[in-house]
Amino acid sequence: MAQLEPTALDLPLVAARRGINVGRIRVPGWLALLLRNRKSRTGLLIVAFMVVVALISPLISVAHPNDFNILATRQAPSWHHLFGTTDQGSDVFSQVVVGARRSLALGALAGALATVVAAVLGIAAAYVGGIVDEIVNLLTNVFLTIPAIPLLVVASGYLKTRGMWTMIAVIALVLWAFEARILRAQALTLKNRDFILAAKASGEPTWRVVFGELMPNMISRIAAAFVLVFYIALLVDSGLEFLGLGDQSATSWGVTIYWAQVNSTVLQGEWWPFMFPSLALGLTVLGLVLVLAGIDEVSNPRLRTERTERRSRLAALLGGKAFTR
Amino acid sequence: MRWFARRLVFYVFAIWVALTVNFLLPRLMPGSPIAGLLQHLSPAQLAANPGIVQTYEALLGGGHHSIWQDYVTYLHRIAHFNFGLSTSNYPTPVSEVIGRTLPYSIFLVGVAFILAFVIGTGIGMVAAWRRGGFTDSVVVPAFMTVSAFPAFVLALLGLYFLGLKAGWFPIQHAYDNDVIPAWSWTFVSSAFRHAQLPILAIIAAYTGGWVLNMRTVMVNTISEDYVGMAHAKGLHDRRVMTRYAGRNAILPPLNGFAAQFASAVGGLVFIEIVFSYPGVGYTLQSAVLGNDYPLAQGILVVLSVCVIVANLIMDVLNFVLDPRLRTA
Amino acid sequence: MTVLEAPAGTKTLLEVRGLEVEYGNVRAVDGVNLHIGTGEILGVAGESGCGKSTVANAIMQILRPPARIVGGSIVFQGEDLTGKSQEDLRRFRWRNVSMVFQSAMNALNPVMRVGDQFVDMMQAHERISKHRAIVRAGELLELVGMDKRRVRAYPHELSGGMRQRVIIAMALALSPELVILDEPTTALDVVVQREILQEVEALKRDLGFAVLFITHDLSLLLEFADRIAIMYAGEIVETAPSATLASAPLHPYTQGLLQSFPPLTGPRVRLSGIPGAPPDLRDMPSGCRFHPRCPHCLPENAALHLRQTSERPRLRETAAGHSVACHLVDA
Repeated sequence: MAQLEPTALDLPLVAARRGINVGRIRVPGWLALLLRNRKSRTGLLIVAFMVVVALISPLISVAHPNDFNILATRQAPSWHHLFGTTDQGSDVFSQVVVGARRSLALGALAGALATVVAAVLGIAAAYVGGIVDEIVNLLTNVFLTIPAIPLLVVASGYLKTRGMWTMIAVIALVLWAFEARILRAQALTLKNRDFILAAKASGEPTWRVVFGELMPNMISRIAAAFVLVFYIALLVDSGLEFLGLGDQSATSWGVTIYWAQVNSTVLQGEWWPFMFPSLALGLTVLGLVLVLAGIDEVSNPRLRTERTERRSRLAALLGGKAFTR
Repeated sequence: MRWFARRLVFYVFAIWVALTVNFLLPRLMPGSPIAGLLQHLSPAQLAANPGIVQTYEALLGGGHHSIWQDYVTYLHRIAHFNFGLSTSNYPTPVSEVIGRTLPYSIFLVGVAFILAFVIGTGIGMVAAWRRGGFTDSVVVPAFMTVSAFPAFVLALLGLYFLGLKAGWFPIQHAYDNDVIPAWSWTFVSSAFRHAQLPILAIIAAYTGGWVLNMRTVMVNTISEDYVGMAHAKGLHDRRVMTRYAGRNAILPPLNGFAAQFASAVGGLVFIEIVFSYPGVGYTLQSAVLGNDYPLAQGILVVLSVCVIVANLIMDVLNFVLDPRLRTA
Repeated sequence: MTVLEAPAGTKTLLEVRGLEVEYGNVRAVDGVNLHIGTGEILGVAGESGCGKSTVANAIMQILRPPARIVGGSIVFQGEDLTGKSQEDLRRFRWRNVSMVFQSAMNALNPVMRVGDQFVDMMQAHERISKHRAIVRAGELLELVGMDKRRVRAYPHELSGGMRQRVIIAMALALSPELVILDEPTTALDVVVQREILQEVEALKRDLGFAVLFITHDLSLLLEFADRIAIMYAGEIVETAPSATLASAPLHPYTQGLLQSFPPLTGPRVRLSGIPGAPPDLRDMPSGCRFHPRCPHCLPENAALHLRQTSERPRLRETAAGHSVACHLVDA
């Protein structure tokens, strides 16, 4: 479900700045750039927060997420159960916090796999050209045309087991095409630059040119690709779980929402088993989208909203203009 | 024109791939597909539906014919729009089930996604034109935040707050339970009312993406010389924004619309399920959960074709709107 | 301050006093004084990045954020532009002052027919039917030597030279008093360059508009302009009638520029350029901005050197119509 699509334009390359030193900590150049930009800074903080929560979840979850407690079913949020309980009496807070692990891991790994496939296929195809390029292009377009979710729905329907790795593989298989096209387009623009031609002329084998020269110069775009596929995988995976096509016995955000839906809790007015995992999901996706927007702005200075002086900020708010006077 | 022919050839190829994937999918999955299915059927059911094993074998393999024979038969049937019989609605043919449900989905997608696109690009255009203004600082982040939530979450939210609590909209199905589908005013108005919440959910979910996309493209377009020149010519601000900048900036998102359509179809599935809206998405899920593979596969094929048709329409639109393509 | 007087016999059309333009915190134009008389061709020459296009954009009031005018005045036909309302400025643009942009390739809207872009502009300034507007557009195209049927063409269907002509025709459509040419020929080859400029000259004779000609190519100005202003690092360093500038340049920068291109006739001379590079706008040299590159700025002349490195020279008139901002001339 790519509701928030990448920008239609290729990102120009970011010249990696040297790292800076904050006190005694050495911050790498790219991180410094991202932290300086307001959007990506916010996004990174959100994502970092989620990751930390996922990591320390065993410490902060009050009970085991799958604990059943017939006596405490369908309870609204209270001090005892911060996020309330499900219809089976499980603590929603624990489910959300522990579920973060699986959801984030699934999203990240599927995203990573899809990015790797997209990068290798897209960039290699762009560089090598000819029939290889035609084939990869064809493949990419086909995968983009066949609707992803219905395909995943049907494929999951055929799967007997829905373990984590199977889901990662299946999702990555469907999502790689998104970024392959964009990475290929950018690789095409780099292909005829002098440094590539020089490498080629000096006899470097193809694989070395692709992996050693081309890809390192596309790092910012590949990173952006990863962020994008990460959140799409997150959405897709939780979506599938919501449909009952994931691993229903596992703990993750989508599964919690699934059980909430299946047990008609929403229709009965119990919003908490569905609301809190949804918030977690939405917040994480928002964080990733902000990071992506930040990368965009860092690479393309025109996108940055200039910080006007305090006096004129109000004037700008009331009717900012594209042209001065 | 040649470019057009190339696209057409590609689309035909894509359909063929969709059909073949459909055909191969059950045969590639681990384990025998039939065994799993037969497990779900009780002996009584087997007795009542004598042809069911054959149907499944023909569809999923495990039968006595060679795979090539099966494939040829499969393609032959598809060409005649024969997708087999739906096992969960036995003995209704799949094509009939799809024919019953597809119009609802098309209505939903057609109205909602086009609206999301129009509203989204409009907001993006204005936001980029007035950088730092109200639209840019408030409306854009608002839409971004809303669109960060998955479609099914927004659908559930809408269901809960607007449907259940506020009671503004009907919350289930495509029309009131006592109305009969027909070209009558009661039906149409009822259908329209029921479609409001799903449409709203889709718009909420997808507008944000367009806003961001258009805003980015617009920002780059604004710095083009012809926009500066239009401003220098003394044209009214709004005219420069729409006819000069906007008209050019909309082309990349328009291209993106066709590509996005595939994921739009995906979102449709979730929305329909949340609202129990009887379109192809809803039917797909119940088909898969009920192991009705003929129906599921039929829907997959039909959806792929829909996406391709949408792509085709977008190609034509692109051709009409961008004169630079016409001299190719 | 200089005496800003138009040459005898002409009225002052445009007067720019002390113009200051900033991009964010960087000052791109720092106290520029110019004046143009009716029907006169004023050339502004300088290296890339010296601020000449910014001056042009400021005159037309089309600066984009983060650029903004922070000081000075621009007086056109007696009225100060910096105080005008948005709507007045909109009407002012193109009708009184128009501009020929640098790269005509990109100055035309790719999705609109050429004729429609004329119509747009005409209807924004006067009540005219679309039909009449198209007819006039055709007449304008013929004026610049094109087939009037080209009004139906899309920009990508025309060659570079044709597009430039369309832009010129558009600039003249409302018979403005001043036409700004911002590097109009940089993207064209030399032959087309010449043709275009000769056409502009002929049109000027017929229609009587003044021209502000901005370019980095001084040789063009020497041939086409009546007066020339040399710009460096956001300031005007010398202004003079073309003939005077060519024969008796006073500012070392001007002298350096003139020595940078070889004469086509006469004996072979040694080409001398100007060593160094233009200063970073964020890190201006103190005093005279040209002093790091000036062959006459030597530590040996202690008193002069001190002035050169600490005091900004002011534009002063030395002879009729000839102004220079240089300590060497003052001394």
